[in-house]
Amino acid sequence: MPPSAAHGALRRAGSPFTGLGPVFMKELSDHLSSVRMSVLTLFVIAFGALPVAFALQDLRNVVISDPYLFLRIFTVAPERVGLSFIVALNFVIPLMAIGLGFDSVNSEFNRRTLSRVLSQPIYRDALLLGKFLGGLATLAVALVALWLIVLGSGLLLLGLPPRGVEVARGVGFLIVAIAYGGVWLAVSMFFSVIFRSTATSALCALGLWLFFLILWPMIASAITLGFAPTQITSIDQYTSLQELGLALQRLSPGTLFSEAVVGLLNPETRTLSFVLPIQMRGAIPEAPLPLDQSLLLIWPQVTGLIASMIVVFAAAYVVFQREEVRA
Amino acid sequence: MRCLIALFALILAITSTATGYAQAADTPKGLFLMTDYPSQTVRAGEVTTIRMKLNNAGLPPEPVALSVSGAPAGWKIDLLGAGQTVASAMPGVNQDVALQLRVDVPKDAQPGSHKITVSAKGILMQAPDLVLTLTVANEAPAKLSIKSRLPSLRGTPRSTFEYTVTVGNDSGKDLTVALSAQAPANFQTTFTDGFGSNEISSIPVEAGQTKDIKVKVTPPRDVKAGDYPVVVRVAAEGATAEQRLVLQVSGQGRLALSTKDGRLSGEAEVGKPSTFTLVLSNDGTAPIEEVEMSGTVPTSWKVEFNPKTIPSIAPNEKKEVQVTVTPADKAIAGDYVASFRANGRGETASADFRITVTTSTLWGAVGIGIIAVALLVLLGAVARFGRR
Repeated sequence: MPPSAAHGALRRAGSPFTGLGPVFMKELSDHLSSVRMSVLTLFVIAFGALPVAFALQDLRNVVISDPYLFLRIFTVAPERVGLSFIVALNFVIPLMAIGLGFDSVNSEFNRRTLSRVLSQPIYRDALLLGKFLGGLATLAVALVALWLIVLGSGLLLLGLPPRGVEVARGVGFLIVAIAYGGVWLAVSMFFSVIFRSTATSALCALGLWLFFLILWPMIASAITLGFAPTQITSIDQYTSLQELGLALQRLSPGTLFSEAVVGLLNPETRTLSFVLPIQMRGAIPEAPLPLDQSLLLIWPQVTGLIASMIVVFAAAYVVFQREEVRA
Repeated sequence: MRCLIALFALILAITSTATGYAQAADTPKGLFLMTDYPSQTVRAGEVTTIRMKLNNAGLPPEPVALSVSGAPAGWKIDLLGAGQTVASAMPGVNQDVALQLRVDVPKDAQPGSHKITVSAKGILMQAPDLVLTLTVANEAPAKLSIKSRLPSLRGTPRSTFEYTVTVGNDSGKDLTVALSAQAPANFQTTFTDGFGSNEISSIPVEAGQTKDIKVKVTPPRDVKAGDYPVVVRVAAEGATAEQRLVLQVSGQGRLALSTKDGRLSGEAEVGKPSTFTLVLSNDGTAPIEEVEMSGTVPTSWKVEFNPKTIPSIAPNEKKEVQVTVTPADKAIAGDYVASFRANGRGETASADFRITVTTSTLWGAVGIGIIAVALLVLLGAVARFGRR
């Protein structure tokens, strides 16, 4: 009798997290020692280091005093590269996450090791969660390393220490980046659960990423245009149209990530939504927001990233639980 | 007719014998010592210079010794030629030699007339003695007058009082008049030329003439209302004249707007009223009536003052005003400028207040709730699909 049919509705005994620790450690060690990880790390460093190196060269020539000079390393787009560190990370993090997750389940299945693992006292829950957490930890290790490299080179080349607020904002940026990676890790694991072929799951995950990167902004603006009345007669109409466009854009995790990062690393950012000039009357331009206000500003974006990560993982979990694992 | 000719011949004969050397009646020959004003007034204690000249009419030139006699005791009399003391002169034929008689009259010279004889004597010729009558007069003292057309002006502690004063020199000689003013403590007085802007401390006034000068008086800012006298004094060579000027200073209030601790910033949450305490003070010298508060805040914000108007603020008094600012419901977090103004009868004060708008943490809680819901979904899935 297949277990899925016989025991699907039965309550199980014990914690679903039994065996989570070994799976997590094994996944982490596999990832960190794999050639793929080295390639991805090289990729990340190449993409991250280049903008930072040029940004630092630009910032060394800055003469005006800037209270958030250290954060500019992340946000400044050097003229010679035209790509700031955070924009580069917006490309690199999904690629890295997909690279880590696209074959996490189906490769085990193809190697016929899945049933062997599950014959151990390890629940499927723990296996999937362990694999996810292992991938996330790997991602976090790579991002923290990159972040420290940026911070260190900033210290070395700018010759001034970051202030506490800047470090706090940088740590916030790190958390947002890990959450963003988590979303794409969950997505790629979802595909690896659905498809038995690793190539298909990789293709689907990359396709979804490209869709959100390239196609979605166009589709969003097309939808907005479709909703637009033939003639905009009031400010309210215009505002609601702009807000609709923004809301559609925010369905893409990349938009959420870049908005959250801008809010964190550009303290002058006061709002991420559409603003009428009348709302800014009386505002002091270039006045930085306090950290708690910046956090409140980006909180919806962070919430969106974390919640979508959990939801996608839950979907992968549901599919995985119902799957036949014996090959 | 014969009678006439006889008279003419007689006159001719008389003149020719009287002069002795005369060749024609209208061109006398000889040596002459001359001066324009043989009788003069000199002042005790002063030096008077008398111009003279030695004229040689048609005689061959020769050195002529010059001498002065008859000088009273203590007088010092010199004969000068071309600035030097000279003892003889040598005028050419039909030429003059200019001479000066420098008379130094002692201070204690007796009034009255003194005769001084100047003589010029050569070997062949001799000029008639020139007798000068010098009268020692009592010195006419320097005399000054001063008057102002508008000696009393009215203004506030912040205005500059400008008086035009006419200084007259009523004595017989040019004077350099020193100017001074006596004003209450901390009042600033300056003198300027009638139309110039340069500050002056003295001014030359020719004899019998007048000059206009301006006196500017700047009272200290915190001067109390009242009348303040300023005495302008002019002085020259012992002569003085005074003019009393009056400043009628009316009191003026001066508003200042600040907060208790001087901090001009505060925080306000979106859509919620925040109250700040402003302090209105009157640093002036007169009470300020009916001070009305107003404020400029960003669009669709609300600002209220309690009280809205203050009936009166006495000098050196402080009044507190509560201002309640409500940022708009859709205000964006960050720093804004709000201007608060107090306006009372021409006196205004304003203060720019920096308001940091904070957003509600409610949405943060909502975000955590959403994450909790997502986790609940996951837990539900675990409970529903979890299996051995």
